[in-house]
Amino acid sequence: MGKRGQLTILVIIALIIVAAVIVIMLYPRISVLINPKVSPSSYLKSCIEPVVKSNIEILSKQGGYFAPQGNLDYKNQSIKYICYTAENYRTCLVQQPRIKGHFEDELNNALAPKAEACAENLKKEYEKRGYSVSLSEIHSNTSIVPGKINIEFSMPMKIKKESTQTFSKFDIEVDSKIYDLLMISTSIIDFESTYGDSETTLYMQYYPDLKIEKIKLSEGSRIYIVSDVVTKESFTFATRSMVWPPGYGFQQ
Amino acid sequence: MTSKKLIMFAMIFLAGILMTNLSSAAGVNATVCCEKTITNLYCQNVPANQCSPNSKQVPTACESTSYCKPGTCFDSNEGICLDNTPQLVCNANKGIWNENHPQQCELGCCVLGDQAAFVSLVRCKKLSSFLGLQTNFNKEIKDEVQCIQSVRNEDKGACVYEFEGEKTCKIITRKECNENVNKTDVVGEFFKGKLCSAEELGTKCGPTKQTTCIPGREEVYFVDSCGNPSNIYDATKLNDKDYWSNIKDKTKSCNPKSTNANSASCGNCNYLEGSFCRKSGNGNARASYGNYVCADLNCKNTENGKSYKHGESWCVYDDKGQLGVGKNAVGSRFYKHICINGEEVLEQCADFRQEECIESSIKTSVTFSQAGCRVNRWRECTSQSSKLDCENTDKRDCLWTYGSEEVPVTEAAKGQASLPQFIACIPKNAPGIKFWEGEEAKSICSQGNSQCIATCEKGLFSDKKCKADGCVDDKGNADPFWTASKLGICTSLGDCGDNINWIGTAGYKQSYTINSKSKKSG
Repeated sequence: MGKRGQLTILVIIALIIVAAVIVIMLYPRISVLINPKVSPSSYLKSCIEPVVKSNIEILSKQGGYFAPQGNLDYKNQSIKYICYTAENYRTCLVQQPRIKGHFEDELNNALAPKAEACAENLKKEYEKRGYSVSLSEIHSNTSIVPGKINIEFSMPMKIKKESTQTFSKFDIEVDSKIYDLLMISTSIIDFESTYGDSETTLYMQYYPDLKIEKIKLSEGSRIYIVSDVVTKESFTFATRSMVWPPGYGFQQ
Repeated sequence: MTSKKLIMFAMIFLAGILMTNLSSAAGVNATVCCEKTITNLYCQNVPANQCSPNSKQVPTACESTSYCKPGTCFDSNEGICLDNTPQLVCNANKGIWNENHPQQCELGCCVLGDQAAFVSLVRCKKLSSFLGLQTNFNKEIKDEVQCIQSVRNEDKGACVYEFEGEKTCKIITRKECNENVNKTDVVGEFFKGKLCSAEELGTKCGPTKQTTCIPGREEVYFVDSCGNPSNIYDATKLNDKDYWSNIKDKTKSCNPKSTNANSASCGNCNYLEGSFCRKSGNGNARASYGNYVCADLNCKNTENGKSYKHGESWCVYDDKGQLGVGKNAVGSRFYKHICINGEEVLEQCADFRQEECIESSIKTSVTFSQAGCRVNRWRECTSQSSKLDCENTDKRDCLWTYGSEEVPVTEAAKGQASLPQFIACIPKNAPGIKFWEGEEAKSICSQGNSQCIATCEKGLFSDKKCKADGCVDDKGNADPFWTASKLGICTSLGDCGDNINWIGTAGYKQSYTINSKSKKSG
């Protein structure tokens, strides 16, 4: 091979390297150009899923409240009293009878602005790809069901390029065992308010994936950490019921 | 106005001021039913000064008020009832409050395919909707065991039906097959005890190398190409036509008498023996086929050196001091340990030894240990005056004792009231007291105070000679056995007298005094 041939090869290699660098640097934009199709469901799921998980984590550590009132402070964590009595020798009075319902409400309120932002971003994504998009009012609704969290995006959307596509809503599912944990917690509260305590070992024997930790504090409060050993999700709440004080309990 | 009338008026005025001040002073500390406390808790009987300024408060118990009366709260969305819920809390959370147990909370048997749940009708509807099943609720069944038994005998097998022009199949019960397959109105043909992969059924379903876990089941199952669970995973039966055609009982599957924990070839897990279907990896072994194995849930070499099965629990008291003889160390506590999923979980019994851990075991072919925290019933001990009442374990946890092993009591005298000056009824496990604050510790420990009256005589030509019921010797010196007994009893009353803490360190000052006073007569 002559010198000219070698030079040509070197130029080709240099061009390939430069092209590769450009591709790496501009990948997100290029991906839009080379991948004209976007699945709205996948886009919304990838947008909302991390937010769902981070919000669930916060709520789970605080008894299902973002800002718990009527709470116990334990190791820099504010935990809601779901059942409480200030007295000794008495069973507790339920402070939140709809544990799952309230968790859902809190999650719904937290996700609504993010869901709206995700929908707006989806619109922009389509517009970048040359679509004309009309998007009406966006509503989202979160529901917790066994094995998952459903987020319903009610967002009438029409996209138009060569053809027109119309969507009314998108249903996004995020895997989670939080429903089961909330139901077990409700059952524990039922025991606490009726009998003054709960027997956690029976729950754990009955449900193989379940782990319940019960921390008893000196002043009578109990912290329950209900978790799934497979998914590692957990739900923490506090109670104060049927307290046996030190001594005869004459002094408060 | 006469001066008499003026004095009378002044007296009434002063009395009025006095009464107002007294009532307002009492009002601050009087217990009221508070709608919302300053710590944002609802319907609590607390001193008036702990009540939130704008909330309702009535000087009576919450049970007697209209707004905080506890009752049953029904969540109509989930079909769940919770007792002991104040009316205002229930209403504020969109629940339906009822003073008594409402009709909606009556439980019955809810059939969910081949499983059952003992729940309310609304809950049954909810659970059925989750599973895409029609509601099947039987309110005539009145207990959970009967409810679960009622679905045990359901026939199960292959339900063959046409779907989108193809002959397909599903493993369900006969009833489901005849009513609705796949949440549709399609009626299938039922083959009892057959698997969908059976060649004679002529469906599109066939054997695979894949496995799965089934909710509510402990074993690892093969999966056919239609996604139906087949028989229990057995690597040697991968190409066995009969194994892929007929439903095999657990006892006729591989190694039925073993836990098969971490077995690569057999998925016949046994939950009672401590193995359960789990995804392989993450500390679990790998199966020869598929991604699931029987994970080992038992705990080996726990804190006390023993091994326990999944679900077993046991008591631990490893603080200093002695158990059951009223010699517990200050700050010591009972603990319950539980073996769960191969992990040793710790649960404290109530602090100040207000709860003690009790343990028992169920003996079948193997021993299964069960422990629990139970209230320490020490409060009535010191008021018992007979051995029978003292040691009545149905009512209390007390000990009829001499207080100290140093007391020289003969076997015959033990348990008799022959040495009444030494005997006392004390808690088996001395309760803890907040001795560092308040006056209550003093009142409890003062029950250990003891007085001995000795009469001494000194003749003109003889030495002093004393008489007392064993508390002093002839010369009037305190008897060491009497002192030891009284000190033992004192320590057993709670965190009183001389004691050690939970790590075994003794108190830095003497916690008792012996005083003697003499009075001359004659």
